[in-house]
Amino acid sequence: MTKSEELHLSSRDESRSAEYVGLVRAAALGDRDAMERLLMRAQEVAFRFSVLVCGHTEDAEDVMQEALLKTYQYVDRIRDPEAFRTWLYRTVRNACLMKRRRKHGEPARHVSMDYGDGGEPLDVADPARGPDALALNGWLGERLRLALLSLPPSLRIVIVLREIEGLSTREASTVVGISEDNVKTRLHRARGLLRKQLEDV
Amino acid sequence: MSVSVPCKVILRRLSEYIDEEVDSETCRAIEEHCAGCAACAHLVESLRRTVGLCRATSSRPLPEEVRQKARASIERLLSRHR
Repeated sequence: MTKSEELHLSSRDESRSAEYVGLVRAAALGDRDAMERLLMRAQEVAFRFSVLVCGHTEDAEDVMQEALLKTYQYVDRIRDPEAFRTWLYRTVRNACLMKRRRKHGEPARHVSMDYGDGGEPLDVADPARGPDALALNGWLGERLRLALLSLPPSLRIVIVLREIEGLSTREASTVVGISEDNVKTRLHRARGLLRKQLEDV
Repeated sequence: MSVSVPCKVILRRLSEYIDEEVDSETCRAIEEHCAGCAACAHLVESLRRTVGLCRATSSRPLPEEVRQKARASIERLLSRHR
């Protein structure tokens, strides 16, 4: 990795958050293009979170709808644009959780998802099964998707939020409900486990 | 830190090192250690590749079918509230 790539990555978290704030403000002022982009972002977040963190591809569409509607309502009653991004991830996380609770006839193989202090557990399905697995492998790469889903849930949510979603340590700690030090510790462990899984890639 | 420092001392700081969250003295010590320790140097590189792979994923667009559905949902929502 070159020095300029490293600099680009280190400034990535801040620029993404600032972009969200700009979109929320513009959308609140009636900018239709900004609103459309924000709603698309919300659905993208919901899709990735459903697939990569919760592991329930079949829930993704409903979770995307929830993110869409709630984001639209959020902009309408805007109070704090700076808080939008963490609000969105918490909303998506809760939507995944609620979706699981309402559902009957769950897949047989589950593991508990620990969201940390005071957080509620989610169930995770077997990542390798399901009709969408093939399409998703094309999107993300089978090795990475399965490697991520093989991580303990409490580590997986942290590495997805930090490395794929680009949240800062502070933002990830707010979403997961753990301290920043705990985010760093989990990230360190998650990276190490993921590296082992992907070593020959 | 130096090559004589046990590798496990280095390993504990690698994640922070990659994130450029260590002070310059620790940074220099890790680099000196890795210059003389092939195992740790390999670990740093593979850890960087792992992180790079994850981050490259973040910029990938969603599958086209999912994007089309998302667009249609946005259009329906906005047309209802126009």
